[in-house]
Amino acid sequence: MIMVVSQAPEDVGELLAVARKLGEPFVLAFQTSAEKVDEVAAYGHKVFRLRSDRPEALFSAANRLYGELRPQLILGPSTKNVRDGLALLAGLHDLPLASEVTQVSDEGSYVRYSRGFMSERVIMTAKVPKPAVLLLKQKAVEPVGKGGKGEVVEVSSEQQGVKLLERRPKQFSGVRIEDAEVVIGVGRGFKSKEDIQLAFELAKALGGQVGATRPIATDLKWLPEDVWIGISGKRIAPKLYFAIGVSGAPQHMAGVSDAKVIVAINKDKAAPIFKYADYGIVGDLYKTLPVLIAKLKRQ
Amino acid sequence: MKDIAVLVKASLNPEIVRQGSDGRFDIDYTPLKISDIDRNALEEAARLKGLLGGKVYAISVLSWGPVRARDKDVKLAVQEALAKAADEAYLIEEEEILPTDQAIVASAIAALMKSKGLRPAIVLAGEASVDESTSQVPARVAAKLGYSFVGHVNKIIEVKGDKVVVERDVEEYTEILEVPLPLVISVTQSINEPKPPTLIQIRMASKKPLHVLSAKDIGFTSRPARSIEEMKVVTTSRKQLIIEEANVEKAVEKLLELLHKEGVLR
Repeated sequence: MIMVVSQAPEDVGELLAVARKLGEPFVLAFQTSAEKVDEVAAYGHKVFRLRSDRPEALFSAANRLYGELRPQLILGPSTKNVRDGLALLAGLHDLPLASEVTQVSDEGSYVRYSRGFMSERVIMTAKVPKPAVLLLKQKAVEPVGKGGKGEVVEVSSEQQGVKLLERRPKQFSGVRIEDAEVVIGVGRGFKSKEDIQLAFELAKALGGQVGATRPIATDLKWLPEDVWIGISGKRIAPKLYFAIGVSGAPQHMAGVSDAKVIVAINKDKAAPIFKYADYGIVGDLYKTLPVLIAKLKRQ
Repeated sequence: MKDIAVLVKASLNPEIVRQGSDGRFDIDYTPLKISDIDRNALEEAARLKGLLGGKVYAISVLSWGPVRARDKDVKLAVQEALAKAADEAYLIEEEEILPTDQAIVASAIAALMKSKGLRPAIVLAGEASVDESTSQVPARVAAKLGYSFVGHVNKIIEVKGDKVVVERDVEEYTEILEVPLPLVISVTQSINEPKPPTLIQIRMASKKPLHVLSAKDIGFTSRPARSIEEMKVVTTSRKQLIIEEANVEKAVEKLLELLHKEGVLR
C-alpha cells in the first residue's frame, strides 16, 4: 500500500500519478485538502481526513496510519508543513526520506529516485529500501484526472504541546513571474527600495515583470515574497532573464536555469553571475540602466 | 542554566561543481564548507547564550568521504562554530558511514548526545544544507530525542520558563507559536545577519576542546541504507559574452545588438 499525503487538492493528481504505478494508494488529507475533502475523494481512493494544518498533527496521524496499514511508500508534496511532519515520522522509524524528487521507480523491496543536488546543478539517483518517504517536486509528473468517489474517514491526532498564538498571511503581489516572457531580477546591487523603480522601468520597456533574489524579497522585503526567484522561491523559465546587481549565488541561479537567454549587469567583473550569463555588461547599474531604458524606449 | 547544541554541517560547496570526462559530478574535486544557513544558527546560539547562561556545544557529522581527504575542511567548519558560539565541539568522523544519509546523521547525533550525557534545552540547526537541501535532519533529531520540533523559524521571540515563543515561516503565512522545551529549532536565513568571527574569536577557538570521535566511540553501529547510484552534472552552457566597455552608450548598444540577433527583443 502507498500512503499519499495531500496538503492541497492541487497536489493529489501528481502524487497519485506516481503512487498508482507503485501500489494501491490511500490518501491522508491534511490542511486545505481536509477542508476540500470532496475534491480529494473525487480521485476514487479512500481518504483519511485530518482536520488540521499543524505538522505535529500530521506526524501523529501519519504515524498511526503507518502503524496500522504498514504502507511500503509514503508520498507527499515538498511543502514545509509536509516536510516537517513526515521528517518527524522518518526520524522516529529511521525511514529514508528524500524531497524535491523528480523520478521514482519500483525495484521490488527497494525504490529508486532522482532529485536535484548541489543547487540543482547535479541530478542524484539513489536507491533506498522500503518503507521510504518520497516528497515530490511540483510539476515533475503529469497529473492523473479525477474519477470515482472514495470513502472518507475522519482521523484525529494527539496534540503535541505546540500552541498557535497568531497567524499572519503573507503580502503577495499577485504577479505570476513564472508566466512572464521577460523577467528583470533585482539583486543586492540596488542600494535602496526606491531605486528598484529602475528595474520596473526596464520591465515596462521590455514588456516584462520584476523578480528578486532572496535578501531583497525575504530579508529586506523590498519586494513581495511571491516574486522571489530561487531554489526555495519561484523557478522561472522566461525567454529573457535580466540579472541586475545579482551576484549569482547557486541557490538563486537554480531558479533561472531554464531561462533561454540570461543577461547580467554587474559592476563586479569577478561576480559568479557572468559565468551563468549569455551576455553581460561589466558596469554600474545606476549608469547602465538609464541608458538601456532610454534606448529601448526609442526603438 | 540551559545548554544549547548547534548542528553544523560541512556541505559540498555548490559553487564548485566540476564535470568529470564522463559527465559525472567530480565529487572528489569539490571542497566542503560550512553550510550557509548553519551560520545563522550559530549567530542565534551566540545571542541566546547570553540569555540562557548555559554552555553551547557544536555537533558535526562528516557526511562525505574519505575521512583523510575531508578532515581539514570539516575541522575548518567546526572551528568556525567554536569561534562564533560554541564552548566545546564534537565531530564524528567515521569511514564506515560514508557517504552518509540523513537517517544515519540524525541517529549518530542522538547516539553522541546520549553517550556524552549532553542534555541541551535547545538544539539549533539551519533549515537546510546547501548540498542536499532536504530539510530533514533537525526534525529527525527531535524525533530521536523525544524533543519538540519547530522548523523554518524566522525569529526566536522569547524564552520564558520552559517555553519558547517563535515565528515560523511557511509558504503562505507566518505564525507565532509557543513551544515547550526541550526543543529542536531549524532557522531560516532571515533570522539574523551572521557576522564572521573576529580574529580574537578565531584565536580563542583553537584553545577550546574539539572531540573527534569514531562510531565505536559513541557505540554507534548503524550503516547507511541509501546507495547513491549516479550523480550527473546538469549542463546548461551559456555563451558568457561579457562586454567590458568604459563608454556606457557603446556597451548598451553592443548588448542590444546581441539581443536583437538572439531574437529575444520585441
